[in-house]
Amino acid sequence: MLRLPWRAALLAAFLFVNASTVHAKPAHKQALADYFGPALDRRLVDCRTCHLPDKPGQEASSEKPHNSFGARLKVVRDELRKAGKPNDIAARLAAVADEDSDGDGVSNILELLSGHSPGDAADKPTPAEVARAREALTAFRRRQQEYAWRPFEPVSRPVPPSVKNASWVRNPIDAFVAAEHEKHGLKPRPEAPRHVLLRRVALDLTGLPPTRQELHAFLADSSPDAYEKAVNRLLDSPRYGERWGRHWMDVWRYSDWAGYGAEVRESKKHVWHWRDWIVEALNADKGYDRMVVEMLAGDELAPDDPATLRATGFLVRNWYLYNRNVWLDNAVEHTAKAFLGVTLNCARCHDHFFDAIGQQEYYAFRAFFETHDVRTDRTPGQPDVEKDGLPRAYDAHLASPTYLFVRGSEAEPDRSKVVVPAVPVLLRGAPVKVEAVALSATAISPGLKAFVQDEELSRRREAVAAARAALAKTPADAPATARLTAAEADLRAAEARIVADNARFGRGPGNADVLARVAGRAEREALLAAAEEKAVRAEAAAKAKGDPTVAAARKAVEAARLALAKDDATYTPLSPVYPKTSSGRRLALARWIADKSNPLTARVAMNQVWMRHFGRPLVPTVFDFGRNGQPPSHPALLDWLADEFMRRGWSMKEMHRLIVLSNAYRTDSTPDAASAAADPEDRWLWRVPPRRLEAESVRDAVLHVAGGLDATMGGPDLDYTLGLTSPRRSLYFRHAAEKQMEFLKIFDAASVTECYRRADSVIPQQALALANSTLVLSQARLLARGLTKEAPEPTAFVRAAFEQVLGRTPTPRETEECVDFLNQQASLLADRGKLSTYAPTGGSSVAPSADAPTRAREDLVQVLMNHNEFVTIR
Amino acid sequence: MTQTRRAFLADVGMGFTGLALGALLFRDGVARAAAPAAWAPPDGRPHFAPKAKSVIWLFMVGGASQMETFDPKPELNKYAGKTYAETPYKSVTGSPYLKKNVREVVAGLHTVHPKIFPMQVGHKKRGRAGLEVSDWWPHVGDCADDLALVRSLWTTDNNHGAQLQFHTGRHALEGAFPTVGSWAHYGLGSLNDNLPQFVVLGTPIADCCGGAFGHGAHYLGPEHDGVRMNVDPKNPLPFATPGGDKFREEQKAEFDLLGRLNRLSGIDYPDDPALRARIKSYELAFRMQTTVPDVFRLGAEDEATRALYGLDQAATRPFGEQCLAARRLVERGVRFVQVFHGSNGGADAWDAHGALKAGHSALCGQVDKPIAGLLKDLKRRGLLDETLVVWGTEFGRTPGGQGSDGRDHHPYGFTVWLAGGGVKGGVAHGATDELGFHAVENRHYVTDIHATVLHQLGLDPRRLEVPGRKRLEIDYGKPIKEIIA
Repeated sequence: MLRLPWRAALLAAFLFVNASTVHAKPAHKQALADYFGPALDRRLVDCRTCHLPDKPGQEASSEKPHNSFGARLKVVRDELRKAGKPNDIAARLAAVADEDSDGDGVSNILELLSGHSPGDAADKPTPAEVARAREALTAFRRRQQEYAWRPFEPVSRPVPPSVKNASWVRNPIDAFVAAEHEKHGLKPRPEAPRHVLLRRVALDLTGLPPTRQELHAFLADSSPDAYEKAVNRLLDSPRYGERWGRHWMDVWRYSDWAGYGAEVRESKKHVWHWRDWIVEALNADKGYDRMVVEMLAGDELAPDDPATLRATGFLVRNWYLYNRNVWLDNAVEHTAKAFLGVTLNCARCHDHFFDAIGQQEYYAFRAFFETHDVRTDRTPGQPDVEKDGLPRAYDAHLASPTYLFVRGSEAEPDRSKVVVPAVPVLLRGAPVKVEAVALSATAISPGLKAFVQDEELSRRREAVAAARAALAKTPADAPATARLTAAEADLRAAEARIVADNARFGRGPGNADVLARVAGRAEREALLAAAEEKAVRAEAAAKAKGDPTVAAARKAVEAARLALAKDDATYTPLSPVYPKTSSGRRLALARWIADKSNPLTARVAMNQVWMRHFGRPLVPTVFDFGRNGQPPSHPALLDWLADEFMRRGWSMKEMHRLIVLSNAYRTDSTPDAASAAADPEDRWLWRVPPRRLEAESVRDAVLHVAGGLDATMGGPDLDYTLGLTSPRRSLYFRHAAEKQMEFLKIFDAASVTECYRRADSVIPQQALALANSTLVLSQARLLARGLTKEAPEPTAFVRAAFEQVLGRTPTPRETEECVDFLNQQASLLADRGKLSTYAPTGGSSVAPSADAPTRAREDLVQVLMNHNEFVTIR
Repeated sequence: MTQTRRAFLADVGMGFTGLALGALLFRDGVARAAAPAAWAPPDGRPHFAPKAKSVIWLFMVGGASQMETFDPKPELNKYAGKTYAETPYKSVTGSPYLKKNVREVVAGLHTVHPKIFPMQVGHKKRGRAGLEVSDWWPHVGDCADDLALVRSLWTTDNNHGAQLQFHTGRHALEGAFPTVGSWAHYGLGSLNDNLPQFVVLGTPIADCCGGAFGHGAHYLGPEHDGVRMNVDPKNPLPFATPGGDKFREEQKAEFDLLGRLNRLSGIDYPDDPALRARIKSYELAFRMQTTVPDVFRLGAEDEATRALYGLDQAATRPFGEQCLAARRLVERGVRFVQVFHGSNGGADAWDAHGALKAGHSALCGQVDKPIAGLLKDLKRRGLLDETLVVWGTEFGRTPGGQGSDGRDHHPYGFTVWLAGGGVKGGVAHGATDELGFHAVENRHYVTDIHATVLHQLGLDPRRLEVPGRKRLEIDYGKPIKEIIA
C-alpha cells in the first residue's frame, strides 16, 4: 500500500478540506514547536495538545475548553506571573514537564516526546515508547544546554567562548570555531602556505588569481603584516566590487531583459544601470542597510537622484509583460528570500505549513508592492529610451487595492476585504510606519529637468540652423523655405511647452493656465507648419497634376489650420506626468528590513558572505531560515557575525576583512587523516575546504593570467555571443533567459530565475570547454609566447608558467614531467605529416605557432589552464 | 556492504556529473534500500524493478490535432459547418472544464470556435486490435499493435507555454521546474561510460514558450539538464573538438600530461572527490571527442536501415536522422532522449491556425515513416521491450474551425501515445467526447505521463523529493496502470 507522507496528506487536507481555517493562536503552537524543536512529534503541533475537541473526531481549536494539560499550563502562567517570573510558554512547559496532568502515569514531557497527548489519559505511550522517550529526553536536555538557534528572535550578541587553544584565536570568529574543534576532538590544520593563502584570498575578494609579480612581491614581503596589506590592497581594488557584485547579482536575481524576438517580456532594457550601482556600492562600501533601502525604495528615498534610482533595478527585474500577479508574486517571494531568508511564497495559496505565517500575511506583504510600477527615465545625452535610459521603480497605482486570492487563485480575489500592508507577525522587528512621500516636480514630470529642456531646445535650434543654411544655398526653394518655417515653429512650440511646464509646477513665472493655452496654440502652429512643409514637398515631388498624395497632404494642412481655431489648455508636456506622491509603502518595508531589530536581515546576509568565503554556508538552506530549513552548524558564530556586522555600520568590507584575517580562514585545505576520519564533511571547519571557482572567475582567470583581461568597468550589457573573443569581465555580458554565455552555463553560472546558491558540478563538458574553446586555445598561446620571452630556458619556462597560471612553483617531479613533455611534444610536432587532425570548426582566433618547440610550450600552458588547481580555490 | 556516499562518489567518480561511470547496480536489478531517515541524494538505483531502461520522448511542437492523428471523430464530419448548439453535443460549451481548466496568459486570445470543422483526413482501423488512426499515419499505423494511445490528456495553458508545462507539469506562469527527463537523470545512474544520460535532439522549444527550461533540471542542478546535441559528426555539441588547429596525437599527449599532473596534486588531497571527478571527467571528455561524433555517423548504418527511417527521402530525412540517432543513443546506454519536431523559433510548425490540411499532412509526412522506422528497428533489435517511446504534443486542436481552414489551441482533450518499455500494445485508454472536445473518460493531466514514464524506469517520484522544494500532489501524477503490461 502506498502511504502518503504526512506532509502530503496534510497538504491535501489543507487544500481540499478546510482552506478557510486559520489557526486561532498560531503563536502558542509556534512556541510549543520552538521549545521542543525537532524533538516534538509534529502531530502535537496542534490545538488538541492543550484543548478538548467538542465531539469525538471534530476539529479542536483554541476556542474550545482546555484539556487537563492546557488547564494546568494556564494555572502555571498565573502562578508565574504572580511570582514576577517569566511566564512564556517555554517557562510554563519547563515548570510542568515532570508533572502528569492527565494522570495516566506518564509524565507530561515523556508523553510529549513520545508523540502522545499529555492532556488525554486515553492516549498513552507504550512502555517501549516511554523508554525511547527517556533517551529523547536526555538528548533534549543536552540540546537545551547548547546555544539556541532562534532565527526569528532579534539578534543578541553571544560572548565568544573561551577555548583551550587560545593562541589560535586571532579574532572572535576563531573562538567560536575553535570551541567546536575542541568539542569534537578536532585539531585545526596549520596555516596554509603563503602562496596558497594569497591565491585563495585574491580569488575570494577579486575573482582573479594573483599574477607572478604579485606573488613574488608578496613572498618577498617579510613584514609581519604582509598578509593584512595584501588583504587591504585587494579590498581597495575595483575588482572587489565586480567579484562580489556578481555574488549579490545571484542573490538579487539580476537579469537583463528577456523576451521573444525584439519584444521585452521580462525585466527591462538598460537594467545594467542597476548592475553598475551594485558594483559601485560595494566598492564604496555603502552600508548594506542603505543598499537594501535603496533597492526597495530608492525612488521614495531620493526621488531626484538618478544614481540612487538605479538601485530599484531590484524591482525592475521582476517586471513581466503578461501577468501582474506573477510579477508581484516574484517581488514578494524574492524580497523575502533574498533579505529575510523566509519562504513567504509558501503562504500564497494557504497558511505556511512550517512557519507561523498566515495566507493573509502573504497578501499584506504583497500590498507593499501593490502600488509600484516600472518606467524608464531619460538620461543625459540620449533622448531615445530604447537606446539608453534609466529603468526604475515608482508608485503608479496609488489606489490599487490588494485582495487575498482564495487558494492563491487570481481568478478568485476576496473582494470583501482590502488587505493593507503589514509584515508577518512572526518576524516582529521595528514597527512599520507607512507615510506618503511628496515628490519633487522633476520626479513627477521628468521633462522639467534642465538637461531634458536644454537638449530638446538645442536639438531644435540645430534644426533651425540647418534649415537656414540649406535655404541660404537655394534661396527660392519652396520646400527649403517650408522646412525653415516648420523648424522655427517647432522650436517656438518647444519653448512655449517648457514655459508652460515650468509655470505648471511653479518653477517659472506666469499664469499656468494662460501659458498652457499659449503652448497649445504654439503646438498647433507647429503641426500646421509641419503639415504645410509636407504638402509643399509633395507638390515639388509630384510629377503630374492631381497627384493623390498632394491632395491628401493639402487636406491635412486644412485640418491643421482648422485646429488652430481651438482654444484650450491642453498641450503636450515635455515628458509624461506621474503621480505627485508615492505611497511610502516600500520605504516603510525597506526600513523595517534594514532595521537592526529585524531578526533576519543581518543573519541572512552574513550567511551569504560566509558561504562565499568558505564554499559553504552556516545555514545550509540559504533562503529558508524557517522551520523547514536546516539549522546552522555554528549558530552562535552566525549571531555574533550578524551583530558585529550591524555594529560596524553594516560594512561588508569590514566583515570580509574580519573573516579573511581569522585563523579559521587561513588554515590549510589539505586534510589530515585523523580529522578526515572524525569529521569527513568538515562540518566543524578544521580546514578550509577546497572548492571550484565560479563560472565567471574561470573565464576571467583565463584572460587575466594571459594578460588579456580588459579592466573597463560598467556600461551596457555585452552580447553574450562575444564571450569567447571579448576580453571584458564576465559579469558585463548579457545574462537572461536564453541569453547566457554557453561557456559560463557549463560551469554552473547562475540560473536566471533564482540562484541563492550556485551548483558545483564536475561534468565532462567543462573539460571540453577548457580543452577546446577558442578562448583557452588563444589565451594559452598568447601567454606561452609572452613567458618564453621572459624565460627562454625550459626549466625556467615551466616555473614561470606554474607561477603565472597556478600561483605556485612546480615541484621537482612536476618540473621533470613538464620538461619531458616539452621535449616529446616538440619532436611529435616536428613531423606533422604523421599526425591526424580533427575536423576544422572555424578554429581559434590565435593560430598555433609554426615552430614546434614554441607550440609545445603553448600546449603546456593550456594543460596548466586545464589543471584541477586552476579552477579550484585551495 | 554499505558504502559511504563519499566512497560511492569516488567509485563512480561522479554523482555530481551527469555522466556516471561504470556499470551501476541497475544493470543487476538491485533495488535501493529503504530510504534512510536523513535525506540523501539518489544513489542511482531504481526504487523497484524497472521495465524500461531508456526513454525516447518525441515532442511535436505547436500542438498536433488529436482528431487528425490518433483520435478520429466521425461526428465532426456529420455536423460539419454546424454550430455546437445545432448538434446533440451542445453541452460541450457549457462544461465547467471550459473555465476551470484554463489559466490564460493573455486573456481572451483563444476562444471557443463555434462552427464545427470536419476532419481533414480519413481514418482506418489498424492492426489486430483495430486502433483507429488517421490516414496521415500509414507507417505508424502499421505499428498499431505496439501503441498504447492515451486519448484523454488535458492541460491548463491554452497558449504555447503548454510546451513547458508538458515537460515540467507546471503552468508556465508558475515558472520553471525540473523536467521529466531531468527527474529520470536525477534518479538513475548511467548505463554507459561515454555519453551524457539525457540528450536533446532537434531544435528545442523557443524562448516564447519555455526555451531551454523545456529540457532543464532547474532546482535539481545543471548537471541534470538535457545536453543538446546535433546530428552532425563534425559539430555534435559545444566545444566538441578543438577543431583543425590541434592534432589528435598532440591533444592526447596534453591529456596524458594533465592526468599525471592532477594525480600528482592529488597526493596532498587523497580524499578530494572533486579532484577525482575532474580527472575522470577529462578521461571521459577525451573519449567523448570520439564517441559523440561516432553516434552521429549515420553512414555506418546499412542502406535498409537508413531507408527504414526514411533517410532516402528529402521530406523524412531530417527527422529520420534524429530518430535513428536516438536509437543509436539508447543502444549506447543513454537514458533519456528528448527529440523535438517542428520547432521554428516561434509558435511552431504544428500550430495549425490555418491551412491545417496542407500543414498537418506535410508534417505527418515528415515524421510518420521515421517514427515507424524507429519502432520497427527497436523491435527487431530486441530493444523495444526496454525502450519506452513516447509521442506527445502540448495540446490538441479545437473541434471548431478557426478561419476557413484551421483549428485553434485546445487544452481540454488531446492524445499522447506510448510504445515499448513494458506498456501494452494495441490499446486505447481514455476518451474524449464525440466531438473530441473534452477528455471525458479516464482523464489524465500531463504529469500522469511523467509518472508512467518514471514508473517504467523503476522510480517513485515521491522518493525523489528534494528538501525545501515542496511538490504538490498533482506534480507527482499517477502512473496509468491500465496501459502498463
